[in-house]
Amino acid sequence: MKHRILSIGLAALILLPTVSMLGGCGARNEIVLRVYNWEEYIDEGGKGTFIYDELHELDEEGDPVLENGKHVHIESDIVNDGYKAWYEETTGQALSEEGPHILDDFCLWYERTHGQKIRVEYSTFGTNEDMYNEIKLGNEYDLLCPSDYMIMKLAAEGRLEKYDEDFFDASLPENYYVRNVSPFIAEKFENNAGLEIREDEAGDPILWKDYAAGYMWGTTGFVYNPEAKDAQGNPIDVEGLLEELDWKIFTDSTFRNKITAKDNVRDTYFAGLGLRYQSELLELRERFAAGELTQEEYTREITRIFNATDDETITEVEPVLRDIKKNIHSFETDTGKSDMVKGTICLNYAWSGDAVYALDLAESGKNEDGEAENTVYLNYYVPKAGSNLWFDGWVMPKGANKEAAQAFVNFLSMPQNAMRNSYYIGYTSVIAGEEMEMLGYADYLYGEEEGTEDTVDYDLSYFFGGEASILADIEQATCRQLYAQFPSPDVISHCAVMDYYDKEASERINELWSRIKAETLDAWAIAVIVVAVVAIALSAVFVKFGDRIDLFRAKPKKGYRRIGQDPE
Amino acid sequence: MKLPRFSRKTLCIPYAVFLLFFVVLPMLVIFFYAFTDETMHPSFGTFIKFFSDPTKLSTIVYSLVIALITTVVCLVIAYPVAYILARSKMKKKFVILMLFVLPMWINFVLRVNAIRELFNLLASLHGMEWLASANYFKTVFGMVYDFLPFMILPLYTTMLKIDDSLYEASADLGAGAATTFLRVTVPLSMPGIMSGVTMVFLPSMTNYVVSDMLGNAKVTIIGKFISDYFGNDWHMGSMIALVLLVVVFLSTWLSGGFKSEENVRGTVL
Repeated sequence: MKHRILSIGLAALILLPTVSMLGGCGARNEIVLRVYNWEEYIDEGGKGTFIYDELHELDEEGDPVLENGKHVHIESDIVNDGYKAWYEETTGQALSEEGPHILDDFCLWYERTHGQKIRVEYSTFGTNEDMYNEIKLGNEYDLLCPSDYMIMKLAAEGRLEKYDEDFFDASLPENYYVRNVSPFIAEKFENNAGLEIREDEAGDPILWKDYAAGYMWGTTGFVYNPEAKDAQGNPIDVEGLLEELDWKIFTDSTFRNKITAKDNVRDTYFAGLGLRYQSELLELRERFAAGELTQEEYTREITRIFNATDDETITEVEPVLRDIKKNIHSFETDTGKSDMVKGTICLNYAWSGDAVYALDLAESGKNEDGEAENTVYLNYYVPKAGSNLWFDGWVMPKGANKEAAQAFVNFLSMPQNAMRNSYYIGYTSVIAGEEMEMLGYADYLYGEEEGTEDTVDYDLSYFFGGEASILADIEQATCRQLYAQFPSPDVISHCAVMDYYDKEASERINELWSRIKAETLDAWAIAVIVVAVVAIALSAVFVKFGDRIDLFRAKPKKGYRRIGQDPE
Repeated sequence: MKLPRFSRKTLCIPYAVFLLFFVVLPMLVIFFYAFTDETMHPSFGTFIKFFSDPTKLSTIVYSLVIALITTVVCLVIAYPVAYILARSKMKKKFVILMLFVLPMWINFVLRVNAIRELFNLLASLHGMEWLASANYFKTVFGMVYDFLPFMILPLYTTMLKIDDSLYEASADLGAGAATTFLRVTVPLSMPGIMSGVTMVFLPSMTNYVVSDMLGNAKVTIIGKFISDYFGNDWHMGSMIALVLLVVVFLSTWLSGGFKSEENVRGTVL
């Protein structure tokens, strides 16, 4: 009996999680929004957020004090006291200086404006491919945040819902996205940033703008240490060499074991193309500068070069990638930033947002007394032969709750929220703001007061769609955070977007990547090894079963018999 | 009401279910993916592609060689340590044993990261620059460091069980120290060697965290390939996983084969 009770108890214990799972299926009247986003790609509250860091410390006049001790005074509404008033109006709650989670704020806002309780189920992914696999496996979400090429792939495979036409009606007050998005981004989304426009099954063109709303964007380039020294302690003119070599710096022996590439095929293949076709790219650049090519023609040409995946191109790029591998310190995804700050390497091929992070980290190098003693100033450089311009955007997979998803995108597109997210993750929001509110934010971070020495007017009209510029430090404008976060019009005009690889191209490129990453032995070596392995396997079989097989059995001498053998 | 009969067998059901869902089923899924194409029709395409691609075969060879070197180095370091510890009359010898095992209690990634930093520091010294590009050396070093406890522990426990009277008997019968070692200690510690070798060899073929962090991702072992391919081609990823499974099975079986042989000799002695 005892035994039986124990068994029942144990069985019940094992079943317990299943029962509690069934019970947890939500209260009624509450909708659930399932958001699938990159790791660390939204304001998650607490330290490191705009609210915690910047609204904490105000001087006597109510202006924020920046981390570097600089007091700034800006008219812009969204940055200082105006933010608190806005926050309270939007969420109906007092602003906690500890830094609320933006998803909680969304729920508050949604309930106030839509009269409906909502809960956000938030999960994260590490790469576009991981996300794609999840979708392919049939996991259901309402909102995803893939990069440009993945948006194209998902749309081309018919996995996405279109945004409602209402979503793009700028006359409706609740359409924050369309009202606040930068005209530069909107234009890129309208013509797929110069990529070849594909058609869906019905023969209609697949346009980004139908399927995606922008979130963050940026460039890729090199983070470099301008004070780098070689093994003998002599300074290296990194800046000069970058100007001179551009992409070819990847294979320059001065930087042997001092430079890194990305550990993913798309970014490194892109770099390989830049290196291999540098002279063609530079020639195009000159023709564009001379006015022989329009911006549109120029963009189309470089986009074509940077998206070539035919066999001939791959054959051309392969030796280049080999040379890159030989010269670099490592293929990395994450370690580049810290290696840069520590000085292990002096050149790091990076995404602009990571570049800003690395630059900030290096500059904040403080000793134990909080004095900036180990401060290193790193710079950012975008290859002038052309580089990558990328976007991450919100898309709705088939079957999504479109209303809630679009409300979420609109909420994130309020300039105040765009600023919060941008501050937290260090990337650049696609939001400019109806009244150019984000210019106020850029000015707040990088602006200098009138009359400061060594400053320039940094023109950002292209992004804000009207007369817009910041009075910025000359270094900020040419090689620091401002230049990384808000690329100059010159940089933008020389950048190309990456397309997705179709099935055959994808296979070719992946094979190329395995050949680059791994070592390939000669055919004869493989043959020898295969023969050796087969020989070992056979001898193992012999050792194990040899005496059971008559063929191998030596006949015992006369008068002897094997142990265990029946006497005849 | 009569309760359904519960017996000890009933308690096995959870384990059977676990085995079914987390061991057997995943294997079948891998097998299924390895022998189908994108349309999910049966196909030998991936199989042929794998065995006609010198890069993939080479990577298997490289992984085998790296794992082999790691295992041999681990054995060479661990055997004397285990022998001394097991034979010594030290009172607090478990403290020393603990010291060898202690690193296992610290997070694996943290340890690898620490070694990475140490190597970076060393490579910045004058005359040590070669270290920066010695990626294979660093990978093997990291693996030896990480897997050493897995070699020491089984060796130590096996040697502890060897009866002292066997050594005395061997000496009585006129065997010298070397003969005793070769004909008593080694054969009797064979089970320990075998389980140590298995525990080191197999993970060091696939543990690509070490090759990524210490080899700066310029060393590619087969585990990394599997992970890469599962990003975009599940069929090839499954095929590589399956081939690895066969290799692992073969090597376990091989070592098993040799083991029974040694055991025979052990009992004969």
